[in-house]
Amino acid sequence: MKVSYHWLREFVDTDLAAKDIADRLINVGIEVTSIAPVVEGVSGVVIAEIEAIEKELGVGAAGHRNRLCRVALPDKKFSVICGAPNVAVGLRTAFAPPGSTLPGGRDVQAVKVRGVISEGILCSERELGVSDDHRGILELPSDAPLGADLVAYLGLDDVILDVEVTPNRPDALSVVGVAREIAALTGAPFRFPHVAVREGEIAASSLCTIEIEAPDLCPRFCARLITGLTVRPSPPWFAQRLRGVGLRPINNLVDVTNYVMWELGQPLHAFDLETLAQRKIVVRRARPGERLTTLDGQERILDPDMAMVCDAERAVGVGGVMGGADTEVTERTTSVLLEAAYWNPGSIRRTSRALGLATDAAYRFERGGDIEGLSDALDRAAQLMADLGQGTVARGMLDVYPAPRPRPRIALRLSRVERLIGVCPPRDDAVRILRALGFAVDDSGADLQVSVPSFRRDIAQEDDLVEEVIRLWGYDKIPVTLDRGGALLPVKCPQPVRLARTVSRELNAAGLFECITYSFVDPDRLHLMGWSADSGLLALDNPLSRERSVMRPSIVPGLLEVLATNASRQIPDARIFEVGRVFTPHREEDGDRPAHEELWAGIALTGLRQPRAWHAGRERVDVYDVKGAAELVLTAAGLSGWDAVPWPDGAAPRYLEPGRSARLLVEGRDVGSFGEVALAVREAFDLEAAVFVAEVSLSALLELPAWAPRYQPLPRYPAVQRDLALVVPDDVAAGEIEAAIRGMRLPLLTRLLLFDVYTGDQVGPGCRSLAWSLTFQAPDRTLKDAEVNELHARIVKEIGERFKAEVRGT
Amino acid sequence: MAVDERVQTILDRALAEIAEARSTPDLEKLRVRVLGRSGELTALLRSLGSMPVEERPRIGQQANQAKARIEARIAERLDALKTLEHQRALSAGRVDLTLPGRRMPPGAVHPITRIQEEIIEIFEGLGFSVAEGPEIESDYYNFAALNFPDDHPARDMQDTFHLSPDTLLRTHTSPVQIRTMKAQRPPVRFIFPGKVYRRDADITHSPMFHQVEGLAVDRHVTMADLKATLELFARQMYGARSQVRFRPSFFPFTEPSAEMDVRCFLCGGTGCRACKDGWLEILGSGMVHPNVLRNVGYDPEEVTGWAFGMGVDRVAMLKYGIDDIRLLFENDLRFLQQFTPPQDSLTPVGRGPGEGR
Repeated sequence: MKVSYHWLREFVDTDLAAKDIADRLINVGIEVTSIAPVVEGVSGVVIAEIEAIEKELGVGAAGHRNRLCRVALPDKKFSVICGAPNVAVGLRTAFAPPGSTLPGGRDVQAVKVRGVISEGILCSERELGVSDDHRGILELPSDAPLGADLVAYLGLDDVILDVEVTPNRPDALSVVGVAREIAALTGAPFRFPHVAVREGEIAASSLCTIEIEAPDLCPRFCARLITGLTVRPSPPWFAQRLRGVGLRPINNLVDVTNYVMWELGQPLHAFDLETLAQRKIVVRRARPGERLTTLDGQERILDPDMAMVCDAERAVGVGGVMGGADTEVTERTTSVLLEAAYWNPGSIRRTSRALGLATDAAYRFERGGDIEGLSDALDRAAQLMADLGQGTVARGMLDVYPAPRPRPRIALRLSRVERLIGVCPPRDDAVRILRALGFAVDDSGADLQVSVPSFRRDIAQEDDLVEEVIRLWGYDKIPVTLDRGGALLPVKCPQPVRLARTVSRELNAAGLFECITYSFVDPDRLHLMGWSADSGLLALDNPLSRERSVMRPSIVPGLLEVLATNASRQIPDARIFEVGRVFTPHREEDGDRPAHEELWAGIALTGLRQPRAWHAGRERVDVYDVKGAAELVLTAAGLSGWDAVPWPDGAAPRYLEPGRSARLLVEGRDVGSFGEVALAVREAFDLEAAVFVAEVSLSALLELPAWAPRYQPLPRYPAVQRDLALVVPDDVAAGEIEAAIRGMRLPLLTRLLLFDVYTGDQVGPGCRSLAWSLTFQAPDRTLKDAEVNELHARIVKEIGERFKAEVRGT
Repeated sequence: MAVDERVQTILDRALAEIAEARSTPDLEKLRVRVLGRSGELTALLRSLGSMPVEERPRIGQQANQAKARIEARIAERLDALKTLEHQRALSAGRVDLTLPGRRMPPGAVHPITRIQEEIIEIFEGLGFSVAEGPEIESDYYNFAALNFPDDHPARDMQDTFHLSPDTLLRTHTSPVQIRTMKAQRPPVRFIFPGKVYRRDADITHSPMFHQVEGLAVDRHVTMADLKATLELFARQMYGARSQVRFRPSFFPFTEPSAEMDVRCFLCGGTGCRACKDGWLEILGSGMVHPNVLRNVGYDPEEVTGWAFGMGVDRVAMLKYGIDDIRLLFENDLRFLQQFTPPQDSLTPVGRGPGEGR
C-alpha cells in the first residue's frame, strides 16, 4: 500500500525523514519496498493567471490551435505560446517561467517560435509529471494564490512510501495505522483525527431506515446522509493526494470515500439517496440466482452465501465488495447515503473469490475491519463530503449493531515473556509499548491486564501480546543463547533419505548427472507412453498449464523430457538420473496420507557410452549399460541377487520395446525395470538416437531384508578352474542356463562367472557361444582332478541335453 | 697344476659366450646348456666316476670352480642385461604423462541437492534429526493444524495447487512438523527437507521448489535459542564473519514471528540486484504458535518451541550466482556439468562464496 509522507505527518509528530521512517518500520515488521518523491526535478513552477489572449498564431504542426497568452504573476507579466484547448482568459494554471525546471531536470527557457517569443510554458499534468493527462493545461481554482509555488500548493514535494503489510494487520492498511506504528516505535506523539460533524436540522432517521436481516454476515451497518451536495472535481491538492497513492480522482464525493478508506482503513460506499427505493436499506443474503450489475458494468450472478445491500425492492450492492451501478453517485447526485459497515471476513473472501472481484474494500474486509471504528470514519467522510460538496450532514447517525462486541481482555505475565523470549523488557517499557499501540493497560496487579482495541483483531491470546511487546522493544535486544537443559538426543536420518544419497553418489561415480524435474507432467505424453485415463493418474484441479497438470506416476517421462531438451540444444549424449517421489492413488496402507507416494530412482542413457577421450571408444550405450546402472542402484541398496525376467503377456509398459526390456525381480518381488524406449515414444519426444531407461523403486528395496556383511573363513585349499563353453540357440537365455547350473546344487561348485559371449562366423547363424568360468573348491581338502572332471562332465551332460547345447573345446 | 683341458674349454667358451649374450633368454639358454641337468659341465662332473681315481679330486675341484665362476658371471651378466632390457623397454614404450588419465569422468549432484545436503549436514552437526512426509497433503496438515483459519487471506501467502477441495500439494514442509509432533512427545529436534509447491512461475518463482524447515520443542526453548541456532547456521553456511539480523514478520504458525536476513555476501552489504539494501532474506522463523502446540496435543504452558524454514533453491541461486530459477529444472547438461570440477574448460573457473577449502 502506498502511503504519503505528508499525510503520515498529519497523524504522527515526527521529524524523521521518509528514508529513516522506512528503516525503522522494517524493525517492527512493516517492510517499505520503495520510497519515491511524487515528482522529481520540478522547481520554480508557480501559479499564474491567463490575463489575456494577445494573438492567434494559427494551427500548429500537431494540430493545436496556438495562442499567445499574457500570463500574469503578481509582479510580472509574460508572453507565452500555448496550444492547449482549455486556454481561457481568467484561468489560473501552472506556469513554468524561464529559469524553472520540469521533471527530469528539463530547463525552461524563452524560445522563439516562428518569430514570436514564448517566455515559458503553461503546464499540463503530464508536463508536471503527476499523471499521464495531457489533454489540457492544469485548471486551478480561482482562489489559488497567484505567484505561489505550485509544488508546495499541490503537495508535490511529498514522498511516497510503498509499504508491505502482512495479512494479520488490516489496521496497518491505512495512513493512521502506519502512523500509529511510527508513533509507538519512535515515541513521537500520535494524533487521531477527531472530527466534529456540523449537523443540519433534518434527522437522518426521518429520511431513511436500515435493517440487517443477516447479522452473521453483517454484524454492524452505519450510515450518514448528506444532502444539498454539488458534484464537481475535487480540489487539486485533494486529487493530488489520491493520485500520489495510486488512486484515480473521480469527483468530490467518490474521492472522499477513497480518501477516508486510505486514511482510516475503513472502506465506505456512497449511494445516491434518490435512487434507493423507499429510501430504505436492507442487508440480507442474496436470493438464489439473483442478479446485480455492479459499478464496473458487469452483471453478477449471486448466491445465498453472499451478503447484499438492498433497498426496498432490489439489491443495490454486493456487501463489502462493490456497489451497484444503478445507485452510484453521478453528476446529478445531490443527496448521498454514506455507508460504513463491518462484514464477516470469511464471507467477504468467499464472495470476492466467487465473483472474481478483488476490490480495495474486499481486500480490507476479508482481513477484518474495525467494528468500532465505523463511526469515526463515517463522521470524517461525511464532514469532508459536506465541505467539498457544499452540502449538509443530516442529524444523527443511522447505526444498526445488534450484538455489540466486548473488547477482549487478556492477562500478560511478564514471566511468560521471559519464558518465551529468554528475556523480558522492563515492566514500564512493556506498558508504554502496549499503550502506544492503542491497548488499554491496567498495570495495578502482578500481571498486566490488557484490553485489546477493536482494530487489532489479530490479538487473541497472551503470546500475541508477547510479540507486540518484543516487536516494538526490538528483536536486536534479544540475547543469543543455546538451548538450556535440552536432553541429548540421538541424531536420526530416515532410511529413504540415506539410500537416496547413497544411490546418487554411486551413479555420480559412474558418470551420471543428477536431474531434478517437475513432479507434474503432461497427460498427453503419459497417454502416449501407455498410461490410460483410468490408470489412476492424479490430476491437479488448477494446474499452471496442461503440460504440468498430472502428478508423475514414474520418473521416466521427466527424464525423457530432459533428453529432449538437451538434444534440441545439440547435446546428443546424456547419462542422467533422478531420485524422487512418484504418485499414485491412496492405498489402505497410506493411512491419513492422501496419496500413495514411493521413492524411485530413474535412469536414462543415450548416445556415446563414454564422453569423447583419447582412450575411449566410439561405442554407443546399449541395454546392458542401463541394466548395469540399475544394478548399481540395487547394490547400493545392499542387494546381492536379482533376476531380469519378461513381463506376462500384455503387462509390459508401452514405452519400452518388447523383447528389449525386462522387469527386475528380487525374491519374486517387482522392484523395477529397464530396457530400450519404444520407437513411437522416442519419436514423440523428438529423440533420434536409441534411448535406454531403468527405474528402481527405492521404497520397495527398503522393504527387503537388509544385507549385512558377514565374514566367511578364507579357503585353505586351492581352487580348481574349468571353463564351460556352449553353443546354444539364440532364444536360450544365459540366465536360464545359469539358473539350471545353480539348480543342480553342486556343493563343490563355488563360483559361476560368464566371461564370454560370442556371435559370428565361428558359431553360425541363429546361435551364439557362451562361456563360463567354473570354480570348484572344497573347504577341507585339495580336490582331485578326477573329482572335478566328474563334476564338470555332469554339468556338461545336464546342460547340453537340457538346452540342446553343443559343448565346445573343453 | 695344469687345468684339465676339458674344463678349460667349457670354461673359456662359456665365459666368452656370457660376455656376448645379448638378452636374458640367450643367457638362460646358455646356462641350461652349460649348467643345466644335462649341461656340458654337469655331464663332465657326472663322468668323474669313469675317470682315473687319482685324477678325480683335481678335475672335480677344477670343474666346481669353473661352475662357480660361470654362475657368478651369469649372475653379473644377468643383472646388466636386465637393466639394459628394462631401459630398452622404457624407451621403446615412451609414455606421455600429460595425457588425461583413463577413467569414466564422474557426474555431479544437482546444485539443489548439493545445497540441501550442506544444510542438513550443518543441522545434523547441531543435533537435529531428519524427518520426511508426503508431498500430497490434506488441507488439515498443510493449513488448519498450522493455525491458518479457513477463508483467511493468510492462505494467499501460499498460492496452492489442489487435487480436490481437501487435497493439495504441500506449500511448505510444515505439515511434516505436525506429523512429527503428533507421533512423539517432546523433546523434539528435527529438520524437514523436501519438495514444496506453489502456484507461481517467473524467473524467481518456480511452481516446485525445495525447503528445509527446522523445529525444536522442549521445556525451556526460547527465542534467544532460536537466534543463537540460526546465527550458528548462518556462520557455517555463509562464512564465519556472516552478519545476520532478525526482524518481525507474520506467519500464522509462529508467534512471535521473525525474518532472518544475512548481510549480502554478493555486494558486501552495499546493496545490489539480489539484496534489499545490503540484506538478503534467507529464512522465516518464530516461536511455535500455542494453537499449533495445542493442535498436536502439547501443552503450551509446559513446552515451548521454535521453528524456521528456508528455500533451498534461492540459496543455491545466491551461492552459485544463478539468475533464473528455471535453469534449475531444465537440466541442461551444460548447466549440470558446472557442478563438477571442469575437465576441458578454457574459461577461468572461479570459486563461489563459501566454497572450496
